[in-house]
Amino acid sequence: MEFIQKKSMDRAVEYFLPKAFEMELSLIWDRYEGQLPECGFCETGLSCRDCLQGPCISHPFRNSNKLGVCGKDKDTLAIQSLLRLVLKGSMVYLDRLSELAKEMESKQWRPKNKTRTDQNLKEVQSFFYDGSLIKKEFPRNFIRQWEELRIFPEGMVRDLFRASQKLEGGLTEIEDLLLWTFRSAMLALLSQRLYGNLKKSIFGEWGPAKVKVNLGVLDSSRPNLLLYGYLSPLLKQKIAQEAQKEAIQVLGVCTDPLIPPFTLPVVTTYGSQEIPLMTGAVDLIVAADQGVYPSLKEVAKEYEVPIFYLNGLKRNNGLRHLAKEIIDQTKKSYEFRKRLPRDIPQIKESAMMRFSKEEIDPKRILKALDGGEIRGVALLCGSGNVKFSQDHEMTTFAREFLKNDILCISTGESSMALAKYGFLNPDSKGDFCGQGLMSLLKGLGEQVPSVIDFEEAELIDFILEMVRIGKKGHSMVACYPEANHSSEVVEALRMAALGINTYFWPALPITGSQRAMEEISKFCKEKFGSNLYIPLEKKMEARAKAAMVFKALTGQEGYGISGQPWR
Amino acid sequence: MVKILMVDKRRCTGCHQCELWCGTEIASVSKELYQAIHENPQPVARVFVEGKNFALQCRHCEEAPCIEACPNGTMRRDPETGLVFVYEPTCIACWMCVMACPFGVITPSSSLKVAIKCDRCRNMGYPICGEVCPTQAIRLEERKDYRAKAF
Repeated sequence: MEFIQKKSMDRAVEYFLPKAFEMELSLIWDRYEGQLPECGFCETGLSCRDCLQGPCISHPFRNSNKLGVCGKDKDTLAIQSLLRLVLKGSMVYLDRLSELAKEMESKQWRPKNKTRTDQNLKEVQSFFYDGSLIKKEFPRNFIRQWEELRIFPEGMVRDLFRASQKLEGGLTEIEDLLLWTFRSAMLALLSQRLYGNLKKSIFGEWGPAKVKVNLGVLDSSRPNLLLYGYLSPLLKQKIAQEAQKEAIQVLGVCTDPLIPPFTLPVVTTYGSQEIPLMTGAVDLIVAADQGVYPSLKEVAKEYEVPIFYLNGLKRNNGLRHLAKEIIDQTKKSYEFRKRLPRDIPQIKESAMMRFSKEEIDPKRILKALDGGEIRGVALLCGSGNVKFSQDHEMTTFAREFLKNDILCISTGESSMALAKYGFLNPDSKGDFCGQGLMSLLKGLGEQVPSVIDFEEAELIDFILEMVRIGKKGHSMVACYPEANHSSEVVEALRMAALGINTYFWPALPITGSQRAMEEISKFCKEKFGSNLYIPLEKKMEARAKAAMVFKALTGQEGYGISGQPWR
Repeated sequence: MVKILMVDKRRCTGCHQCELWCGTEIASVSKELYQAIHENPQPVARVFVEGKNFALQCRHCEEAPCIEACPNGTMRRDPETGLVFVYEPTCIACWMCVMACPFGVITPSSSLKVAIKCDRCRNMGYPICGEVCPTQAIRLEERKDYRAKAF
């Protein structure tokens, strides 16, 4: 089946695509085309391989195999597919929290605020077996609602074990599976909150900072060390300190670039993470687990770039020792690699990142909404998915929303993607924003860009504050135009649980069951007052999607799901 | 030269993708997987993977019993391609073709009141089951080549 799609909107990436073709270097887009058509049963959540009697499917077009070997029907299969994703996604946040807490408990680090760090560590400890200490972190009405629904966690360990057993079989009702799915998503919300608090007490409060983005940030005259994926902030800080002494440039891909007091330039975003190696200017890559392609190994081999594997069980060194080892290897690699040609396209942008509710006052935003200065608030999230041209959906959404006076807020990888096109550059405000939005942004400060970046934990703070002081049904919407990871599925469910209407592309793997889609839509609507949009059209144009969200946001149409909860 | 759809049982993994995409692309109204799943009446795939790992569809027999059995000429052969197909407007749902087919690949659709069978996607130019097969177990080949291989 012929499949033609523009690969990326990023000029820096496009610069290297013909070269990759000539070299017959397999990149993510080639591998995706090789996978087509993807398994329709897995895509729609109608498959199961939880035991060795399978794998099983529920066939949509035949009557003889509608049920799995153990008797699971399509509704159970679909909800379990979602639960499986959510459990996996929650682990992402739980892993980050437990790692950071473990490193702090080792007493190798002196935090900025010791008393608060100790308090936070106690809360983390308690969260493992009991959720009560964290209740104070959320408004009482939310806690009451979540407890009434029985989705508020009673302790991480027990909840994780129980939820995972829901995949093992047994006679479970769809509603119960849905509750466990949301409960698992709440685990992620709580651990993200605790992680944010702990990080703040270790590193202190930190205001907005300027970050350079895209391939042009690579330096041809000195060693470049690339950190890939999620790394412990303590290790990152240590690496940056050691690198500073040796005049090594530390850069990031799919990692938080702001680590007090350092700001790491961002080389590229998730979809194109293989491309930086093609510049020949990368001297060492440190690869973590989360958000890193296994294909890096092959591309790195082609360009003779050594890889430092971080999370091997064999490694048991202290962070300082690890940082020194990484810096030594970078120096050695640079000595060898400096003779090789370096081809760095001079494409880069600057971005102002990491705002919080201190700078972006929710009261001011609500006033602007009431006064008609802006017409809504859109949260742009998600990391990028090869099923769409890289960054196309995200930038189209941002462009359409900004010109129509919708305030755009982004976080994580979506911020990085938008930063590449100047959306986070305060000087480019005039290129994108409508008049009303422009006057609001100017009022918020000269350094505020068109799209405002928040750190994940700060974003939750901001949302809670908006919900607390705003009216019910305020004009806020969360969009995941190019979602990818299981952690983003968790985020989307969490947004719905916070009462925010949520749009998610591509479709969650529950489209195989009409009942599952109806149940989840009904659940969000009745319990949280929010809508969760699950698309059934694969080929919808990005501008049409943005127009649909815009119409719903401004009250011209329903949320696209009235009457048909799954549409 | 007439082409035949060759199915290699050593390559077929029984993944049912041919059935899924045949049901979506050929049998559904929407032509979109997410929507085809929920259509009523349920789309009927023209290819069958049952029991063993082997995708079976109409063989377009040279001496086709279904054409012989059809009382009113609904079951026809395309003179150009040699493909056997159902001319749906005249089908009276007598199911004679269903009984006569030695491979059991004609489905009686009680909701649509027509016999449903593979026409090897004659209006698309290529059979969808062969296009989507991940192991290329289903391939379109010249009959001559196939015979040379078989004997």
